[in-house]
Amino acid sequence: MNGLRSMILSLAEGPAGHEFVAASHAPSPLQPVLFFVLELGAVLAIAGMMLCLYRMVSGPHLADRVLSGDTLAFQVVGLVILLTVRLESTVYLDAALVVAIIGFASTLAFAQYIGNLKRRTES
Amino acid sequence: MTWQTIGDALSIICALAGIFFMFVGAIGVVRLPDAYNRLHATSKCSTLGIMGLALAAVFHVGTLAVTTKALMTIVFAFVAAPVGSHMLAKAAHIDGMKPWDRQMSDELQQDKDRQAGKSPGNAPREMRLGPQNRASGGPSGADPTPRMSTAV
Repeated sequence: MNGLRSMILSLAEGPAGHEFVAASHAPSPLQPVLFFVLELGAVLAIAGMMLCLYRMVSGPHLADRVLSGDTLAFQVVGLVILLTVRLESTVYLDAALVVAIIGFASTLAFAQYIGNLKRRTES
Repeated sequence: MTWQTIGDALSIICALAGIFFMFVGAIGVVRLPDAYNRLHATSKCSTLGIMGLALAAVFHVGTLAVTTKALMTIVFAFVAAPVGSHMLAKAAHIDGMKPWDRQMSDELQQDKDRQAGKSPGNAPREMRLGPQNRASGGPSGADPTPRMSTAV
């Protein structure tokens, strides 16, 4: 049990010198500016998610809801990429790619559904 | 002035561009008048915003794994976003979604009407005529755009 706990903790922390974490280097003098920009970007991405949720609730047509969901998926991708830059880690970009692919697939599926709605209700 | 500093400066510039396009896309989703216009904002958000943020990751981290995955994400976003937007716009048009009432012309609907044998023309009349023809009292004068005045 103790070994399992230490293994989970080491996976969560990311051990130093592991290949998932970029090699440590001396921070450049511009690094505080970059981190401020990343925090600003996180705040603006969350504000954009709020705007997309507003459009998803109040969209007059079904296409409005679908495109707001698409935008929401890409805001999540942007937030994950910001996290990648902040932590200098590799593993989160996989999550970004997967969320982008799933958002695209859901958009295509909903587009097929919307295009078949009229035929389905007529028959 | 080391390479790390130059990379961070490029990363700041790219991150600011990406954040700008992401937030402007989200504002456009709320503010633009109908779904065809909102798809325009969605495409900007998902291509240019993702490209800026992924290039920021490339310039700041700079390892081979991050560069490969970020370039894969950029290429996928640039392929997927126009395809998804086009399919969604065409599906909404097939479903019969009403465009904005100040839209100038609906050329896909004109093509469908022409194929069905009807006379094309579904835009509002005063929009189709244009201000100079409205001032002269109708399409009897010289009309520079004959396609837009055939149904009058």
